[in-house]
Amino acid sequence: MRRAGPILIAIVGLLALAVDFLPGLTVPDLQGTSGGRVIETKLGLDLRGGLRVEYRVDARDGKQPSLADVNVVKGIIERRVNSTGVSEPQVLTAGTDRIVVEVPGVSNTDEIRKLVGQTGALYFVPIPKGTATVQTGQVLDLTKFTPLFGGEQVSSANPGSDSHGGLAVNFNLKADGAAKFSAYTAAHVGEQFAIVLDSTVISAPSIQSAITGGTVQITNEQNIGGLPRAEVDNVVNVLRFGSLPFPVEEVASDTIDPTLGAEFLTRSLLAGGIAIFLVILFMLLHYRLPGGVASFALIYYALIVYAIFRLIPVVLTLAGIAGFVLSVGMAVDANILIFERTKEELRLGKSLPQAIEAGFNRAWNSILDSNVSSLITASILYFFGSSVIQGFALVLIIGVLCSMFTAITVTRNVLRLVVSQDWARKAWLYGVSESEFTARPARRRALRGGAPSV
Amino acid sequence: MFDLISKRNWFFAFSLLITIPGLIFILLTPITGGKDGLKFSIDYTGGTEWTIKFKNPDVTADQVRSALADLGQPESTVTRTGSGFLEIRLTKLDLREQAPLPSAAPSTSPGAGSPGASASAGASATPSPTPSPSPSPTPSPTAATSASPGASPSASEPPVSNNTEIPRTGPLGEIVTGLEARFGPIDQQLSLSSIGAIVSSDLIQQAVVLIFVGALGILGWITLRFRDVKFGVTALVALLHDVIVVIGIFAILGTLFDVQIDGLFVTAMLTVIGFSVHDTIVVFDRIRENRARHAGEPFAEIVNHSLLQTFGRSITTSFTVVLTLTALLLFGGSATQEFVLALLIGIVSGTYSSIFNASPLLVVWTEWEEQRKGRVAPPRATRPASA
Repeated sequence: MRRAGPILIAIVGLLALAVDFLPGLTVPDLQGTSGGRVIETKLGLDLRGGLRVEYRVDARDGKQPSLADVNVVKGIIERRVNSTGVSEPQVLTAGTDRIVVEVPGVSNTDEIRKLVGQTGALYFVPIPKGTATVQTGQVLDLTKFTPLFGGEQVSSANPGSDSHGGLAVNFNLKADGAAKFSAYTAAHVGEQFAIVLDSTVISAPSIQSAITGGTVQITNEQNIGGLPRAEVDNVVNVLRFGSLPFPVEEVASDTIDPTLGAEFLTRSLLAGGIAIFLVILFMLLHYRLPGGVASFALIYYALIVYAIFRLIPVVLTLAGIAGFVLSVGMAVDANILIFERTKEELRLGKSLPQAIEAGFNRAWNSILDSNVSSLITASILYFFGSSVIQGFALVLIIGVLCSMFTAITVTRNVLRLVVSQDWARKAWLYGVSESEFTARPARRRALRGGAPSV
Repeated sequence: MFDLISKRNWFFAFSLLITIPGLIFILLTPITGGKDGLKFSIDYTGGTEWTIKFKNPDVTADQVRSALADLGQPESTVTRTGSGFLEIRLTKLDLREQAPLPSAAPSTSPGAGSPGASASAGASATPSPTPSPSPSPTPSPTAATSASPGASPSASEPPVSNNTEIPRTGPLGEIVTGLEARFGPIDQQLSLSSIGAIVSSDLIQQAVVLIFVGALGILGWITLRFRDVKFGVTALVALLHDVIVVIGIFAILGTLFDVQIDGLFVTAMLTVIGFSVHDTIVVFDRIRENRARHAGEPFAEIVNHSLLQTFGRSITTSFTVVLTLTALLLFGGSATQEFVLALLIGIVSGTYSSIFNASPLLVVWTEWEEQRKGRVAPPRATRPASA
C-alpha cells in the first residue's frame, strides 16, 4: 500500500490537471447526445449576467396541479423560451409547484418574461361586421366579443407556405372546432376573425372563403415572402402552446447585468487567490516543513475541486465561490490537528517517523467527527435549500470530501517521502527544540514501529 | 497549571454579556414592527431592488428618493455606490402586479413604439392554396412596414446590446418614465430583482426549519459518537450560543447601520453550526482520551487538562478560516459581504463557545450528576489548585 499511495496521488493529480486546463475535452453524456458534453466551467447567472424568473403554478378551477402537471407546464414554458432563440436557456422545476427559468446574458429580458408568463387563455373570436378593424397587439374586451371556441380545439399548428412560396401559418382544428368554424366562415366571408391570447390579438386575418374540414391557413399574399418569419413563429407557438393547463404566476425575478457579473467574478477570484496565499503563508511560518507539505496538498486540493466542478458540472455562483474560499480555510484544519499532535508525540520522545504516524492516527477521530458535522449541515442545506443555497452547499460538500483525501492521504504520503530524506531531519523544520527531537527510531522501537495505518 | 474550569462562571457571564444585548435587539424587531432590530432584505419582505445609473452623473440619492415619493413610493431607500450607481429599494412595488400586457407576444420589430404600428399583414384564411383572386380588405394598411423578407429571419431579431433591458411597462415602467422625466435618461441598469411575498414567507419558514433540523442533526451525531447525551447537549448549547450571537449582532448592526440579512443568512447560520462544533469535537475527543488514561482523577481536572492541551489548535484551526473569510470580506465585493460577515462572527463565537462554554458546561453537568448519585464527595473540595 505504501507504494500505491504516491502513484495514485500522481495519477489523480495529472487527471485533475488535464480536466482543469486542457481545452475541448468531452465526457460521455448521460442523455446519450452524440459527441458527449464538452468539459467547461459553468458560471451561474449572478456571475455571467442574465435573467432568472421563478414562477408558481397555481390551481385552476379549484384543482391543485400535481407534479406531473407541473412538468407539463414546464415543458410548455421550455418550448416558449427555446422559441425565442436565446442561447442556453434553462427551465427547471423547484419544490412542488415552482418553475425557474434562467436565461444567461440576455438583453431583451422583458420580452422573455412576457412570453413565458402568458397564462395563455387562447380564443378564436369572430369580429362582427360593422365593428372597427382589429389589429395585432390590440387588447380586445372579451365581454364585448364572444369567442367562437377556445385554444383547446387546435390539434396542430405549423409554419407553411402560401401559393407563391411565401411564409404562412397552417393549423388544424379538432372536430368540434372545425364544425363551428366551418359554419361561421361560410356565413361571414370577407369579415375578420381574431386569434386572441390573454385578451391580446395575436393575429386578425380576414376570411377569404368558407373553411370546411378544419384545415386553416393564414397568409399574406400581398407581401413578397408572405408573412414575416417572426410573426409566423409567434402565431404557431401561440397556437401550439398557447394554453397552459394551469396558470403560472411570477413570484420572483432577477436581472443581472453581464458587466456586474464579470465584476463579481473577478473580485471573488481575487479574494480566493489572496485567501489561498494567506493560508499557505501562515502554514509555512507556523508549521515549517510539514506546513510546506500541507501547502502542496492545499494547491492539489484546489486543482481537484476545480476539476470536479468542471466534470459534474457544478454551476458556480457567487455563494459557491464563497463556499470554496471558506473550504480552503477548513481544508488545512485537518493538517493542523495532525501536526499539533505530531509535535506532542515528538515531545513525548517518539522518533520523527513514529510521531508523524501517531499524529495521523490519533487526530483521525477528531477530523472524521468534525467533517461529518459539516457534511450534516451542508446536506441539510442541499436537500432543503433553494437553488442559491444548494449551490453553496454542494461546493461545501465536495470541498469537505476532497479535503479528507488531500489533507490526509496526500499529506501523509508526501510527508513520508520527505521524512525519508536526510536533509529533512532537522528539529527546526518541525518547530520543536533539538532536545525534543529524535530523527530516527531506536532499533528496538523500530521493530514495534509503524503504527497501524488508517 | 492554569485553571480554566474554576473560572467558568466568568466565561458564562461573558457569554451572557454578549447574548443578552443581542437578544434585546432581536426582540426589538417584533416590538417596533421592523423599524429597529433585524433588517430583512427583499428576499424576506418582498419588493424590488434595482441598481441603475443616470446619464447625468450628478443625480443624488436624496433627489431620487424624493422623486420616488412623488411617484407614489414613499418607503423607498436609495443609496449611491462608489461607482456612481444608485441602489434603489422599493418595498411596496411588486413587479408581478403587471398591468395587462400591451403585447402578449414578443414584439418582432424592436423599433416599433406602439403595438399598432407593427400590426399584422393583411392576412387571409383560405382552406386551399388557391391564390386570392383579389386583394383582401386588409385590416392594417401599414403591413409592409414591418414585413421583412422571410429569407433573412435574423433581421427581425432585436439588436443585441450588452446591457439588460430597462423595463418600460408595468408599474416599474411608470416609475422609469417618471424618473427619466426628472433626471434625464437612465444610462445603465446593473441589476433588477423583484420578489413576491410568497417566496418570502417560504424563506422564513424554511430558515427556522433548517436551523432546527441542523442543530438536531449535530446533537444526534455528537451523542452517537461520544455515547453520552451530555456531550451532545452541551455541544448544542454552544451552537445555540453562536446562533444567538450572530443573529443578535446583526440585529444591532441592523438597528444602527441598516445592515440587512438576506436569503443567504440561513446558509451562513448552518455553516456556522457545522463548523463551530469542530473545536468542540477536538476538545471532547481529548477529554475522552484523557478520561480513559487518567481514570479516577476528578473530571474537572481532566477537562481542564484537555482544554489546555488543545487550546492552541482550536485557535489555529479557526484562525485559518478567519483568514480566508477576511480575504473575502475585504476583497470579495459587496454582494456577499453580509454573508461573509455572518460566517466570520459565527466562527469567532464558535471558537469561544467551544472552549469556554461547552466543556465547562460538561463539567457542571457531570459534577451535578455525580453529586446527585452521591458516589463521591463534592469534587471541588478535593481538587488541588494545579495538577
